[in-house]
Amino acid sequence: MLIRIQGGRVVDPTAGRDAVGDVWVEDGRIVAPPSDRKPDQTLDAAGCVVMAGGVEVHSHIAGGNVVTSRLLLPELYVSEAAPEGHPFAHAGGAAGWIGATYARMGYTTAVEPAMPPVHALATQLELADIPLLDRGALTVLGNDDHLLQILRDGEGRAAVRDLVALNVATSRGLGVKCINAGGASAFKDGALKLSLDDEIPCYGLSTRKIMGALLDAVEEIGVPHPLHVHCNNLGLPGADDSLVATLDAAEGRRIHFAHAQFYAYGVSDPENPMTGGFRSAARRIVDAMMTNPQASLDIGQVVFGQTVTVSLDILRQFGGRKGAKPKKWVLNAGDAEGGGVVPFLYRPKGPTSSLQWAIGLEIMLLSGDPERTILTTDHPNGGPFTQYPRIIHLLMDKEARDREIATLPGIVKERSEIATIEREYTFSEIAQLTRSGPAKLLGLDDRGHLRAGGRADIAIYRDDPDRTAMFTAAKFVLKDGHVIVEDGQVVDWRAGRSLALTVESDRAMERRTETYLQDRYGQGLDSFAVPEAAFATDKPVFEDVACRT
Amino acid sequence: MAAWVKGGATDADAAVMAAARLLSSAHAPVFAGLNAEVAAIRAAYDLAGRIGASVDTAGGDATYADLGALARVGAMQAPPAEVAGRADAVLVVGEAPLKSPLVERLRGTKPVRGRAAGAERSIHHLRSNQDLAVQIAHLRAHARGHMTSDAGMAETARAMASALYGAVLYDPGELGTLGIEMLQGLAMDLNESTRCFALSVSDGTQDRAALQVAAWTTGQATRVGFGRRVPEQDPWRFDADRQARAGEADAALWLASLPTPRPTWLKTLPTVALVGADAAPDLAEVVIRVGEPGRETGGVLWNEGRAGLSYRAPEQGADLPTAADIIARIAAAVAGRGAVAGRSAVANSEDA
Ligand SMILES: [Zn+2]
Repeated sequence: MLIRIQGGRVVDPTAGRDAVGDVWVEDGRIVAPPSDRKPDQTLDAAGCVVMAGGVEVHSHIAGGNVVTSRLLLPELYVSEAAPEGHPFAHAGGAAGWIGATYARMGYTTAVEPAMPPVHALATQLELADIPLLDRGALTVLGNDDHLLQILRDGEGRAAVRDLVALNVATSRGLGVKCINAGGASAFKDGALKLSLDDEIPCYGLSTRKIMGALLDAVEEIGVPHPLHVHCNNLGLPGADDSLVATLDAAEGRRIHFAHAQFYAYGVSDPENPMTGGFRSAARRIVDAMMTNPQASLDIGQVVFGQTVTVSLDILRQFGGRKGAKPKKWVLNAGDAEGGGVVPFLYRPKGPTSSLQWAIGLEIMLLSGDPERTILTTDHPNGGPFTQYPRIIHLLMDKEARDREIATLPGIVKERSEIATIEREYTFSEIAQLTRSGPAKLLGLDDRGHLRAGGRADIAIYRDDPDRTAMFTAAKFVLKDGHVIVEDGQVVDWRAGRSLALTVESDRAMERRTETYLQDRYGQGLDSFAVPEAAFATDKPVFEDVACRT
Repeated sequence: MAAWVKGGATDADAAVMAAARLLSSAHAPVFAGLNAEVAAIRAAYDLAGRIGASVDTAGGDATYADLGALARVGAMQAPPAEVAGRADAVLVVGEAPLKSPLVERLRGTKPVRGRAAGAERSIHHLRSNQDLAVQIAHLRAHARGHMTSDAGMAETARAMASALYGAVLYDPGELGTLGIEMLQGLAMDLNESTRCFALSVSDGTQDRAALQVAAWTTGQATRVGFGRRVPEQDPWRFDADRQARAGEADAALWLASLPTPRPTWLKTLPTVALVGADAAPDLAEVVIRVGEPGRETGGVLWNEGRAGLSYRAPEQGADLPTAADIIARIAAAVAGRGAVAGRSAVANSEDA
């Protein structure tokens, strides 16, 4: 079927396109305008902005911690009566709701950034139940005893590469992440704090060594997405030093920094570094990114209100447990990373939360390269992803920003530059921040743009000066060339696919790992597998993504 | 395929139609058991959502003992392989955990990972000769130094406090919410100076699988009702045994593709039973024999040794439908009957 999306303002920064025109779609792909054929269907996009479907790189939408957060704080989301066609689309926080809410916002791909290999099957089953979107997950490594043993014993790059490849292949990951590498292991052995070069007890390793080995492994395997790094010391004054030191430790290798806002905290009072609070280090972080074109970050923007933080960084979650609001928390010291679930309130107009809010926006507004500055709230850690439209609004509208800043405490102006920044994001820059940037970062060439040959994942928004309204409920959303959203409502409950890398694993490492696992769990690789048969459907669940050669 | 309606043998189509008729004409159907593979549990929630049923599980009381404590104080926990690999001191609370193969393993091995590697492992036991919750409260008071009167308690408290990695094993059904809350408090206290984690020993049902499926499917835990078209969790209201006894339920779906003790109400309510090898004609009004996951059919099951989900391939080929297939066929038949107007579209469809 040939579809013509007619007369919209077509915004595709990857093609330098921002003008009224048409986009043509056939068989799930974007095609060049045909010279002599009439469309089977025309979608009227007059008065609308047409962009590629949004791509999410870091949102906690599946996995054990997310499940625990629902059990710990079931009242966080409000459920409404179900709409036609899906019994759980309005069940707040559920998979159906996640898919529907993203799709209504014009997002068509979402990645869960923290899949522990020991629980890959559960995470993948949950992801597969998110309708409408393509989804994927990053395989988390950096705290598992098997890897740390290999590093401790100095077995060299090939062994690390083979173990990483085996883990990605078995868990069907789309990339590799390390979360406070060595931190969970150190926590179990009594540590309360960890910096880049501190010794990990029992292994004689450091975060620098573990992360460096993973950086190399990712390059050697040819994982399209660079190593996704959650640094040490998240949320502490002086965390900017951790991020910059980690960037230096990457020594020019590709690296992605997760939720950088939570590290853009410079020590405010050098005399009292831990008690004097923090000030914005947004400019320092942005400058570091500008001099390192091989690096990228996502924001982790804070929004005001109640949330629940979920993280495999058990060291940090343990440290933050007493700030829980309401006063309860779950710490799971898992087989490798484990995780922590700590409810948290970003107090509206509170001095700390206001400064955090300002710093996230500041990083985006100071950035010289929005494609490497990706919009996330680290859902739900900085706040829910449902706040993206409001954040986009603030980026595009200086007046709206000023009005919000005027309601916040003076510390915002004293300790950040936010109030002095005149910049207003253009549609093209928003598309870089939410489409082309994240797609390039994940190495998914088929999306994030509107060029011929691209996947027909397309969002069509009514151009409304109220950008919050505009980006909350698209006029049309297409997934693989099918209209899934019309006038902000889901009209076709399709299933997307789970994107997984095709990685060859080494037979010798398989045998060796089998022995290791049998010894530790009394069960082998089989019990960790993610086979198609587990999904009990005759439809394909996964879509292969090739490694770089 | 073996199937029976009102005791008489019939074929699959007739049994599925009878099941659809029975469930869609009910005002307050209850889905219970859910002692089955993930695909079947998932299908059961989906059908419950579509027809406005409520859902409960075979291990519901134990599950909600844990959830009750979780909702009040949270938890500090570790999985079995970590406890076996790291713990130099283990406290077994009550009698039920003694039946777990884990305790045997802990007795026969030493910690091999982390700072306690190579150390002897001491195993302590809190007997259930008095109220366990009260005993844990006493132990906690001894650990905090608020009490010193009981020498045995003081000794156990000292052992846990001086351990490098402690673990506390309990059975949630035996211990109950208050006791679990107290036990989590003890673990949290001990973490001020060392490491100590609780480990809830499962009762052998698929409740922990169901809990995950329920949470990602409905945003809530297992005992939910869909009578008002939104998932509402209520551990008291949607307790299937209570609903059956109180006469609130007027029909049921009993899902037990794995061997499960049967509830007494099975024959007193119009029930559709989806059961494995123990299927019998007079079990319920409609009985459909389904494959037992991990033995006769493939399926994802709770893996107690790893505290997670694993896929289990069938051990032998068997020409039996899966419970998920049967529920999907019932759902299609319900939709075909138009019993619930406008709610007939099938989610996750992928038309070409
Ligand atoms: Zn995150």
